[in-house]
Amino acid sequence: MSASLAPECNEIKERYDTCFLKWYSEKYLRGNSAQDECAGLFKQYRSCLNKALKEKGIDQMIEEARETTAETDAEHLKR
Amino acid sequence: MKIYSSSTEYNYSFPTVTLAYFLRYPNPYSTHVMSTDVLDRHLDPLTNRLHTVRLHLKRSKVPAGILAFLPKDWVGPGGKNSSFVLEKTTVDVKEGWMKTESRNMEWTGVLSVVEQQLYKDMSVAEIGARDKATACKTTVTFVSRFGEKIRRRRKMRAEAREQDAANDDDTTEKQGFFARLKNASVQSTIELLGQKRSAQSVTNGAEGMRVVLSRLREGGIRGVLDGMRHDRMTLMGDDGLWQDVWRQGQSESSKKDSD
Repeated sequence: MSASLAPECNEIKERYDTCFLKWYSEKYLRGNSAQDECAGLFKQYRSCLNKALKEKGIDQMIEEARETTAETDAEHLKR
Repeated sequence: MKIYSSSTEYNYSFPTVTLAYFLRYPNPYSTHVMSTDVLDRHLDPLTNRLHTVRLHLKRSKVPAGILAFLPKDWVGPGGKNSSFVLEKTTVDVKEGWMKTESRNMEWTGVLSVVEQQLYKDMSVAEIGARDKATACKTTVTFVSRFGEKIRRRRKMRAEAREQDAANDDDTTEKQGFFARLKNASVQSTIELLGQKRSAQSVTNGAEGMRVVLSRLREGGIRGVLDGMRHDRMTLMGDDGLWQDVWRQGQSESSKKDSD
């Protein structure tokens, strides 16, 4: 599996990734997916990751990039 | 603004290709990708589309042609650097398409690169389509905004000077570096260099997908994970850095890898 930016989150990331791949390949791609079954693990992984992003001081940059994505999309479509 | 575009086809079913997309790092063509994290993922209950936002950290090297224009403290020795890429993906398995968009998060003041891909299930798209085929169209857009901020700032300063004719010794010094550059030509040089590079990176991306797809065919998801482990060992050396991550399920393949 791909590594996390934050080594301390690798273990929970691997558990989440494993869950997601199983759900994605066995349920979603076969058209029987009422809901994402890995939400609990994702929450744990996210809380570990969010803490790391904050500590590294890149949470702000990511937030801004995600916000500007919508703006530039509109800009590109016009051209 | 410059645009590079290319099309390719994979002889695999659409679902398999989307799975490979999520599993594509690491692969032998992605040795520059250091990490991948999922920032957000949700299933839209109305459309049944799956939305994913991921963050990749990539090792990069600023091309010499661009390096020459940058202040020295912006990059490491020889232009070595790492940069973040934000990737958004939407999969619609029912309609048979996947849209992806990746953009650089730093350097956007120098060169903003946006790569968009559209994957389409060819088995439902057209008459005469084959059983297992997925088309992929890639478009890379480069916009260099180099110097735009400086021009804006200069204009603001000029306006400020009209109101208050105070001395501006330090501003003239700062302008010196940029005044030597003809911004328009720098912008187009940067865009051209970006275009040249992305032809290679799009090709590498497709080759990486093919490796992951063939591993999926040979051994399923397990096969891909074993392949990743092998790639990582080759890349990092078997120095224990990744042993914690791969403690589980390491039996026969680890013996083979550590030889």
